[in-house]
Amino acid sequence: MASSIRKKNFKQNNWMGYFFIGPWLLAFLAFTLLPMAASLYFAFNDYSSLDSLDKARWIGLQNFERMFFNDNKYWKSVGATLYYVIFAIPLRLTMALGLAMLLNTGRNGVSFYRAAFYAPSIVGGSIAVAVMWRQVFGTEGLFNAAIRLLGLPTRTWLGDPDYAIWTLIALAVWQFGSPMLIFLAGLKQIPTEFYEAASIDGANGVRKFISITLPLLSPVIFFNLIMQMISGLMVFTQAFIITGGAPLDTTLFYALYIYRRAFENFQMGYASAMAWVLLIIIAVFATIVFKTSNQWVYYESKEE
Amino acid sequence: MLAPKSKLSRRKFLQAAAITGGSALLAACAPAATPAPAKPAEPAKPAAPAAPAGGKATELRMAWWGSQDRHDRTIKVIDLYMKKNPNVKITYEFAGFADHLTKMTTQAAGNQLPDIMQQDYAWIAEWAGRGLIIPLDNFASSGALNFKDVSEDFLKGGRVGGKLVAVNLGSNSQCFSCDQGDFEKTGLALPKDDWTWDDFEKTSMTIKEKAGKWAVHGLYGEQLWKSLYLSLGEWSYATDGTAIGYKDDAPFVNYLKMLLRLQKANAIPSRSEDLASFDGKSVEQQPLAVGKAAMDSHWSNQVVAVQKAAGDSRTIKMVPLPRPAGGKSSNYIKPSQFFSVTRDSKAPEEAAKFIDFFTNDIEANDILFAERGVPIAGKVREAMIPKLGKAQKEMFDYVARVSKIAEPIRPADPPGHADLVKNVFNPQVIDAVMFEKAKPEDAAALLRKEVNAVLAKNKK
Amino acid sequence: MTIKQRRELVSSIIYHLFVGFFCLLMIYPLLWLFSSSLKPSAEVFRDTTSLIPSRLSFENYTNGWAGFGGITFSTFYLNSFIYTSLAVVITVFFSAMVAYGFSRIQFTGRKFWFACMITTLMLPVQVVIIPQYIMFSNLKWLNTLYPLLLPRIGGQAFFIFMFMQFIRGIPKELDEAAEIDGCGKIGIFFRIILPLIVPAMVTAAIFSFYWTWEDFLSPLIYLNSPKLYTVSLALRSFADPSANTDWGAIFAMSALSLVPVFIIFIFFQRYLVQGISTTGLKG
Repeated sequence: MASSIRKKNFKQNNWMGYFFIGPWLLAFLAFTLLPMAASLYFAFNDYSSLDSLDKARWIGLQNFERMFFNDNKYWKSVGATLYYVIFAIPLRLTMALGLAMLLNTGRNGVSFYRAAFYAPSIVGGSIAVAVMWRQVFGTEGLFNAAIRLLGLPTRTWLGDPDYAIWTLIALAVWQFGSPMLIFLAGLKQIPTEFYEAASIDGANGVRKFISITLPLLSPVIFFNLIMQMISGLMVFTQAFIITGGAPLDTTLFYALYIYRRAFENFQMGYASAMAWVLLIIIAVFATIVFKTSNQWVYYESKEE
Repeated sequence: MLAPKSKLSRRKFLQAAAITGGSALLAACAPAATPAPAKPAEPAKPAAPAAPAGGKATELRMAWWGSQDRHDRTIKVIDLYMKKNPNVKITYEFAGFADHLTKMTTQAAGNQLPDIMQQDYAWIAEWAGRGLIIPLDNFASSGALNFKDVSEDFLKGGRVGGKLVAVNLGSNSQCFSCDQGDFEKTGLALPKDDWTWDDFEKTSMTIKEKAGKWAVHGLYGEQLWKSLYLSLGEWSYATDGTAIGYKDDAPFVNYLKMLLRLQKANAIPSRSEDLASFDGKSVEQQPLAVGKAAMDSHWSNQVVAVQKAAGDSRTIKMVPLPRPAGGKSSNYIKPSQFFSVTRDSKAPEEAAKFIDFFTNDIEANDILFAERGVPIAGKVREAMIPKLGKAQKEMFDYVARVSKIAEPIRPADPPGHADLVKNVFNPQVIDAVMFEKAKPEDAAALLRKEVNAVLAKNKK
Repeated sequence: MTIKQRRELVSSIIYHLFVGFFCLLMIYPLLWLFSSSLKPSAEVFRDTTSLIPSRLSFENYTNGWAGFGGITFSTFYLNSFIYTSLAVVITVFFSAMVAYGFSRIQFTGRKFWFACMITTLMLPVQVVIIPQYIMFSNLKWLNTLYPLLLPRIGGQAFFIFMFMQFIRGIPKELDEAAEIDGCGKIGIFFRIILPLIVPAMVTAAIFSFYWTWEDFLSPLIYLNSPKLYTVSLALRSFADPSANTDWGAIFAMSALSLVPVFIIFIFFQRYLVQGISTTGLKG
């Protein structure tokens, strides 16, 4: 019966589909497509950010050659970014999911905790957070004070080539509020009837988590994973305001390097080439996650 | 394994839905409801700028970077100018330093530059080279810009290829600012104006031993690399900006070796400590201001903020940079920042007149009060001196004292300078040496190679 | 007290101890920010570890609020409120609409357009700023809210994708049942889908509010006149590392700028607690 409805409405579906995605399509074609195409064009040009567009000079693949073969900093920035993504994203998501589950109860005070845990995320990338974070990890900062209490050796975290990147990873983990809220909203969407039924069947907490929470939350986990991965690979603000890439370029993230080339060295052509390579890297990662998602993401309503 | 169980539960879920009011929800759909398509919200009306009263007023746009204090002062001067010149209407925009650059770069690409923009010494060559800022020599000779009262030493920094493209807003020179109390405590006299780097190292070690604090902060910047070679009659870059400007790496290698010795003795904050605690912070937060070091390397106008942060109980004195043995002065008089008139200006002459007002008007400078450095016009300086506070007087005296011995300013940093400092000098020279990943000799050789490679692009 | 009650009490105490301690750890840096904003300006960097100011000093707030050259923070707050509230409403509504189209309607080109949408998330903004600026300046939209708001009528890819994931968690049988009852696609969207994704929309509203409130890049580039500056842009105009900077005022205004975001969160989070089992079905 359901399929007959679908057939009957097929023509209308096309019309309706474009009606609903219309606003996006319009905005995409009008405001996004052109600038994206322009940046793709710059990638093959010697183009200074200071010049008007007509001064761009076509140089073929030279920007890419320079990037891959003549710029050791480029590879450093790739390395730093991957290192950051590999550690920061899983830690952040685990933290977010763990706390979302802890807070998904009817206990007293939960709304206070929720606000408190979300609070770090609203200070975002302001000047204040830079000053604050440098205070926390400063030589006489909070973190060293805690470490001294535990009798461990203190360090100059932000200036240490081995540890500076970890202060940024710590910041990403500390600001886990947004994935936590998305998890919470996802948990709310799981009907309590499911858990009640499982309890009647005698399932314990772990069992409920594995057979109800995880599969029903998997679309949201998938979403968070993809989005955090994309934003992780494009991480910029934290390094820009806190470490500026130092020491020894260990926190020179990819997007920071792009910004530096585009706006400090005025090499927009080279920066665009780097940006498009980043886009391809992200697209590859995202495709892998999308392709494997059939295996582990469970949708209430299957795609046809 | 999961699917069948969930399917079962889903049926249960639907049942629950049907029973508990889901049906009511569905029933609501029955009448052929046609909700009106959502209306896109109207964007707010742009705040229209008030129309000029006279109808034919010249409009000027102006942009600068700075702190709250500078914004307030600059806006007051603009208001004063508009009061005195009702035919001119000036709109303005301001931002922090990094934001100013982002904004100006974007506006340059879009042919939307303001008439007057604040410029930094590190960019003027690049901006002038691309024709983004225009020569002002015609206005100087026509009298729109009056420099009768300004010494060429103060103007020279704004010339690129012999043409005046930027007007100095205040003069600076580098210095070591010293905490007088620390020197008295350790029984040392304040350094003489012609002290050498050897004297400097001895002084620093003595302070470290006797005062038990860091002797000095601020030795890792590229400015000291430049002044080292200035003192030896050379410069970091060749005059035409296409290659490195010195023949011998040895003075720089010796300097790096001295840094390593000072770091080892803990007479300076280690590179790691410096990055962690002081790098990129404003002068109020740096070791001298907070009482953790006896000396710090500064631009002369920064000392006002240092003295303010240090409080009245301490006195900060300024001495010129040390020189290599046998060298001339390591100091030069540098414009703190400039105003330039841009290519996109429709009324460049009116813009030049405003810059003239900024430079020569005593009332305007009473408002600005040397916040951008020592004013370049002699009469303005004279009028200001009696009103100065302690720290500002120190700054005026210092610039006057240094301008007598200073070396002439070298050409503005060539295009590629920012690239070299951020991408090579800091991470691959200073960091590499101080973290002992590279020998000073190798780091200096790498710097030479990279400078030559990057600047080669400036060859015509 | 029964055993069950006692066990619940113990577990509750453990819960609050654990979560409470963690909570304190999380918000310590924020407490530091607020306490710094109340310290006399000169003290801010002298004794950085202390949470308690030597004396409460509110002049940081008055100095900061004064703004620049007579344009006070009341102007900046007003601008931010106008920009942010319009942006949130537009973004959340259109994102939900587009998400419904992508996740519930079959149409030619769906997969292609979806891929395009996700791709827009992957290009670093740094390289599209300039072409975008040139486009908007040619349209004579500088110094207006158009460049900040009009691109949002397409929703935001992040939210569209997020809503899609939530919509896919809703059984399709609900749509089908509605269709049998004579509901069109538009009716289903308004009467079935929207009520069921309220938690996701609330989440999106919170994020959207915060991201817009915090955004300085578009206002920086498109709004030239200081009378149009937003709070986040004004905040960034305070500091200049090479000049005299009033850090106390920066802390005070930074702390103050968090308040609206926090209020919005507190206000909206009530709707977060009410999930599908209450609003959509039982209510």
